[in-house]
Order: sequence, then structure tokens, then C-alpha cells
Amino acid sequence: MNATVAVVPPKRRAAVPAGLVVLFLLPLILMPLAAVFAFALRGGPRAFWGALSSPEALFALRFSLMIAFATAVINGVLGTFTAYVLSRYRFRGQRVLGIIVNLPVAIPTVVVGTSLLLLWGPIGLLGRFLGPLGMQPMFAPAGVLLAHLFVTFPYMLGAVKPVLDELEETYEEAAYTIGATTLQTFRYVILPTLKGGLFAGALLTFAHSLGEFGATVMVSGNLRMKTQTAPLYIFAQFEAGNIETANAVAAVLALLSFLIFFVLLRYTGRRTDD
Amino acid sequence: MSITLQDVTKRYGDQIPVDRVSLEVQAGELFVLLGASGSGKSTILRMIAGLVDPDGGTIKIGERDVTHLPPQARDIGLVFQNYSIFRHMTVAQNIEFGLRIRGVKSAERRKRRDELLDLVGLTGLGGRFESQLSGGQRQRVALARALAYRPGVLLLDEPFGALDVKIRVQLRQSLKEIQKTLGVTTVLVTHDQEEAFELGARIAVIDRGRLLEVGPPKRLYESPRSLFVATFLGAGSVLVGRARGHNVELGPLTLPIPMDVPHEEGDRVRVLIRPEHVVLSEERKPNAPTLGQGEVIEDTFTGASRRIRVRLPPLAGGVRQVVPPLHFGEEGVRLDVAVHAHADPPPRKPWVSLEEWHILRQPTPRLLVCDEGEGLASALEFAALLLPALNGVATVLGVAEDARKQDLLRDALASRAASAGMKDASVRVRRGETTEQILVEQRDAPYDFVVAGAGEVESLRRGRRRAPQLAEELALSTTIPLLAVRGRPRRFERILICTAIGEPGKSDVRAGGWLARRMGAAATLLHVSRPGRATPFAVEHLERGVSTLRELGVAGTSAIREDEEAVAGILAFLREVPHDLVVVGAPPAGSRPLRSEPATTRVLRECGISILVVPEGSW
Repeated sequence: MNATVAVVPPKRRAAVPAGLVVLFLLPLILMPLAAVFAFALRGGPRAFWGALSSPEALFALRFSLMIAFATAVINGVLGTFTAYVLSRYRFRGQRVLGIIVNLPVAIPTVVVGTSLLLLWGPIGLLGRFLGPLGMQPMFAPAGVLLAHLFVTFPYMLGAVKPVLDELEETYEEAAYTIGATTLQTFRYVILPTLKGGLFAGALLTFAHSLGEFGATVMVSGNLRMKTQTAPLYIFAQFEAGNIETANAVAAVLALLSFLIFFVLLRYTGRRTDD
Repeated sequence: MSITLQDVTKRYGDQIPVDRVSLEVQAGELFVLLGASGSGKSTILRMIAGLVDPDGGTIKIGERDVTHLPPQARDIGLVFQNYSIFRHMTVAQNIEFGLRIRGVKSAERRKRRDELLDLVGLTGLGGRFESQLSGGQRQRVALARALAYRPGVLLLDEPFGALDVKIRVQLRQSLKEIQKTLGVTTVLVTHDQEEAFELGARIAVIDRGRLLEVGPPKRLYESPRSLFVATFLGAGSVLVGRARGHNVELGPLTLPIPMDVPHEEGDRVRVLIRPEHVVLSEERKPNAPTLGQGEVIEDTFTGASRRIRVRLPPLAGGVRQVVPPLHFGEEGVRLDVAVHAHADPPPRKPWVSLEEWHILRQPTPRLLVCDEGEGLASALEFAALLLPALNGVATVLGVAEDARKQDLLRDALASRAASAGMKDASVRVRRGETTEQILVEQRDAPYDFVVAGAGEVESLRRGRRRAPQLAEELALSTTIPLLAVRGRPRRFERILICTAIGEPGKSDVRAGGWLARRMGAAATLLHVSRPGRATPFAVEHLERGVSTLRELGVAGTSAIREDEEAVAGILAFLREVPHDLVVVGAPPAGSRPLRSEPATTRVLRECGISILVVPEGSW
């Protein structure tokens, strides 16, 4: 018996557990994904194109991409700065701040939406003063952006801070002694080192923003051709019974996500190979 | 460009990593800061670089005061221990970085970069990245990068620390050549004595934030002033003999004390003996200074030389060995001898004589003065009076309850010390429980006396017959002599040394006598015994004490007083014959009884004058 066990190649022994994993992943992940594409293409390519080229669908996709891009850029800057401050300075309340900036991961997105409404909404704490001035961030693109910034804030930080933590301070000090100003040091020494982290963080932020639903649905008012993002459009079409239209946009979103995911995978994979 | 440091100090909370360091590096000199890890040498370098802001003192580069200038404005190049080569830049880009920042044109940059690559021996490697370089090459890149913009000063922080021994030797040589070629003022930090000797035109030895000695390697090795420098630089033994006239008696040897080593009769004088200066011979050499006949206990081959360890029987006159420390219970003297590896094996029972020796400076007496930052400043005032007579230095110590009060207390101590006349004293503030922190300070730094207030005579008259609790607690726990002072500050003229209390040791007589000698005071040795019980032993003990005092150059008399009880006897004697300082022994710290009221604290509380409590074995 012992001898038999010994000659069994390890690969064959893995067949059963690996098979099990695939088996439960099928209904959980793989089949639903396949269903999206199957449904999207059921009416043929013409119908698929037709669904996508409706002005509402195009707007939703374009709006989502723009919001995601803006979120990635803004949080790229804010997240990097926060990471720098948290990594380089020692101050009272640092730990608390470190927890707060990661909080959005833990808060349900619907709650984020609600809280934004309660602050900036027409009867919100600050919003009520903005109304008379003719400004209304909620139910407008600005509100969507605010929600996305909130929800995706930790991703940039999470990608950049570990890199900064690992970068010894002597590199900055070396630049200072060589004559570089703080700004030059950041530009020529720190930023290039952070390139990888920035790229990964931006992609993650972008991907999360692209798929954001819970907070968006609360703050956007789901106004077609105005604040409707792609996920909201999918949901609205689905509710209206236009399953194929919904699926066409869903398929595009899924494809975009795959694309981002594979770029990330290749990129981080290459970096670990170094 | 020269570098001048004047009283440069750095504090981190309770720690003083750099304590009033003053030094001058001449233009074009290769200067080495040598010290163990944690000695503060790197902090000094970082302060010169502007990466650490000093809390006191001034730093000048050339004629320019750069104390609070940012690193960018200091015209320096710094090579870090980890080199900190920018990983995303090529070697060439790294080297050109300083020039690019300064807006130098690219053609000129390239020319300078190639010059530097040639200089550090990396010609043709400009296109490589850090990951493609060996450790030695990285160091060269860091050096080239720091030199690119022709800084006035080159600073190197343990530049060879991360390298193999073989490469280290090569790189030292090339650094030396480069420094010579460029003539750039260079400060190098290292913990490696060999490296310091090989590179440094002059070396500064740093220990616990203080600059101990500065000098050329040969001077420091052959005639160090302090024990630390003597033992940190090279091997050897340090023996302690007694000063007699202008000589030190070291067993059978009488060695002249050099003119520049001030000493007092009977002082303990430390003699450094290097292994290469000890000679072993079969027969006694007639005209050589000979310590005696010893025994070879170890013979170790170390490559080019052989180390022989000999043990000598105890030397006359109570010669002690302080370095290397003897094993517990070991007697006599242990000396290391360095001989050529191919020399004949030493005789088993060789005669040991000396070719050379070096007498170390007397250590400066150090007082630890405890002050609360408010109320009576008697400890400060007494210390200010004692310092010139002792030729000593003082540290004023305060203990704060919490971090918030620390800075306030430090300021208060500094101004109180200054107004008491001790503006050179260093001020130290610790945090926590007072007595405990004073004991920690005693343990952490070498002090000869701790000075504290013992409560005022006035308050005794008012019936509050309690000395401050601090003095009492200290009397029971101190490991060094405690001088608890009271009354108007004055020099001690008549000192009463009570041999009745404590163990029959001699620390109290020695410490009291030492103080009497420096104060020019007369001493009385008192023994209290029960009526009719004065034993011959007591009489002999007193006689020995008086002769110890005489050796120290102190006029001493003895007295025996009969009383049922020792403390009562002392107090009665003091009432009859006024003195201004009473000296009592104390059992060694840790073995003191806590339940019954110890005689020491009773005398402290009731004698009404200043008191010196000497723990047995502390002097």
C-alpha cells in the first residue's frame, strides 16, 4: 500500500481536489459569465450592435469610462499623497488616519450613497446651503464622481503605500544631499520608483469605478443621458424587460474588466519575476 | 573646505546621542569618526550633512555657518552605508543626477561623468543598472555620484560596511588615492579600528555621544589619554598602581609619571601595556623593567603572529588589573604577549619584562548632581563649590513625572545650575520615579559621587526632623558615594570619618580621604565601641585607617568613643567636636536591611551637617 502511494505522481493525486474546485466554480462564477455572453449574442451580431449603438447605451458606457478615468486620476494624486504622508511622517493620530482611509472597503456602498445624500443632498447638512447658490452636486455627474472617489479611495493607497514603506528614506536623503529640492526629489526619485504601484493602483481604481453600483444608484438619481452609468443602464434595461440590451452592455463591461484584469496580471506577474 | 563643530548636541527625548561635540576638520584632510555602533558617530555625520537638525551648537563648513541650512545648501556629497543608488537610473544617470539638478548642459555632463567613471574605475559601465553591479561597484557609483558636482566636503557613512573583507581592503586603498588626488575634505564614519587607522590622517574616538580624543592614529594608539580609547584601539592590559611621588608603583616596578599627567599622592594610576611591548625570557634580564616570573597559560596562533597569555602572581602594593577583566576568583595579573609566528616557543615559566608602557590620564572626577528644579538649590551650590577643588565636571539630573514636564524641568535646571555658578554642567532630564531614575543614571554613566540635598538645618530646628525622603532612599540604594549636603555652601575643612558603621572595609576611609585631600581638609577617624570593649582589633583598624589617610596626603587623627550605641556615640562626638562633613559607610547596595532603621539613615537625618555615604566596595 505504501509502495503504491509512493509511485503515484503528485499531479494525478491533484485531479480529484482540483476537479472539485472547478465543479463548484462552474455554477458560482464560470457559468454566469458564460450566460452573459450567450444571452448578449443570442439575437445575432446585428441585434448586439443595435443594442449597443442606442444613444442611451453609448452615453452610459462613455459616462462610465469618463467617471472611471477621472476617479483614477484624482484618487491617483490624493492616494499617493496620503500614502506618502502616512509612510514618511510620524504624528499623533496616525494609526487612526490609517484606519479611516481604508474604511471605504468595509462600508456597504449603499451606505456610502446614503451618507453622501445626507451631506450634499437638497436637504443635506451642506447641500441645503448650496441649493440657493444654484449648485446641486447630487443627481448630477459631480455626485457620481464624489461617490466613486469615496468608494475607490483605498485601492490607490493600498498599491502605493507598500512600495513607499519599502523605499528606505536614505534614497530621498541622497537626493537632498546631491542638491535636489523636495519637489525634484519627488519627481526624479520617488515617482519613478512608484511607477509600478501607481499603474496597478490606477487600474484597480478604474476597474472598481467602472463596476460601481450601490453608491451610484443612490446619488445619481439614475437619470438617463445625464447620470446613468453603464451598470445602472444594465439594471434599468433589465427591469424594463430588455434583457438582450442589458446583456449587450454587460458583455462589454465584462470584456473591459477582463482586459484590465489581464493587463494587471501580466504587469504584476512580470514585476514579481524580477 | 574646513569643517568646524562647536558644542554640537542632539537629543531624542531622554537620550543624548550627541553630547557637546566640538571638533575641527582641516581643509583637504581625511578625518575619521570612530566608535562602536550606537555611539552617535553617524548622527554627527548626519548633522554635518544637514539631515539631522542639532539641538545645540554650531556647524561651520569653511567660513559659512550651516547649522540650520538644509542639506541642499551645504555643498556636500554623502555616501550612504546602503549606497542608495537610484534603481530606475543607469549608473551614468545616477552620476549625472547632481549635475542635471544644477542645470549643467548635457555635453558637459557626459564629459564629467566619463571622468568620474574613470576615476572610480568603472569605465564603460555607465549603461548598467544597480541590479547589474557587484557590491564594490555600487559603492564606487555612490562615490562618483557624490563627487560629480565637486562638493567642498565628502561625507562617508560606513562605506565599506556591506562588503567582503577582500574587496574592502582594495576599496580602502582606492578611496585613499581618490581623496588624495582630489584633495577634498573628507569625513568617514566607521566602527572598524583597522579601517580608521589605514585611512584617517586623524581619528576622533566617539563613545556614548561624547568625543573622547582626537589625533593621528599613531598618537592615539601609543599614548591614549582615556581607558576607553586605550582599549578600543588595539589589544593590551591595563594595570592600576599607586602614585608615589612622581612615580607609579606597579609591583616591583617604579615607573615615572609623565609631566603632563597631573596626579595626587596615592592616586590610582592606570598603566597600559600593549602585547607587542611585553618580553618573555628564560632568564631574568638584568637591566630590563621586570614584573616578575609568570606562567604561560595560553599560546594561540593567529596567522602572522602568535598570542601568548601569561599569568603573574599578585603584584605587591595591591596592583589591580582592569583590562582585560579577570575571571571571578582569579588572582594576579594576566598579560597578553604578541610574538612573531615563527618565534621560538616561550619558556614555560618565563620572566616578564616591559619594553614600553603608557600611563593614562587620570579620569576627571564626575559629579551627578540631583536637583528638583525648584526649592532649595543646596546640591547645586555645593557642587559649584566642590568642582574647582576636585577639578571635575558635573551633570545636573532632574527627574520629571511625564514628557510634558520634561522640557520645563530642563530649562529650570539649566538656569538654576547657571545661577549657582555651574554654567558648564550638562543637564539631563529623565522620566519616571526619582530614586529609580537616579540609580539608572548611576548605572549608565561613570560618576564618582552623587550629590543631593539632605534637608536644611532650619527645618530641623522647627522640629521637622526629616531629611528629604530622596536623600534617605538614595543612602540605602546608591552604588556610588552619596554626598547629601545641607547648610550654607562651604568647603569642607574638618571631616569626620566614622568607621563604626558598616562592614570593616576601607571604602569609606578612601573616599573620605580622597575628598579631604582635594579639599585640603583634616580628617578625624572615629570608632565607637561599647564602654570597656575597645578591642585591639579596633585600635589596629584605626591605625590602618590613619596610615591610609597619610598615604593620601591627609592629616588624620583617630578617636575612640565609648557609647552603648554607635549612632548615639557619633552624634555625641559631633556635638563636642564640630565637623562640617561626616562620612559613614553603608553595606553594599542590595544587602541593606529594610526592616530596622539603618544606622546610615539615622546619622543622615540627625547629624545636622552634610554627610557622605560610601557604599562598601564603591571606592
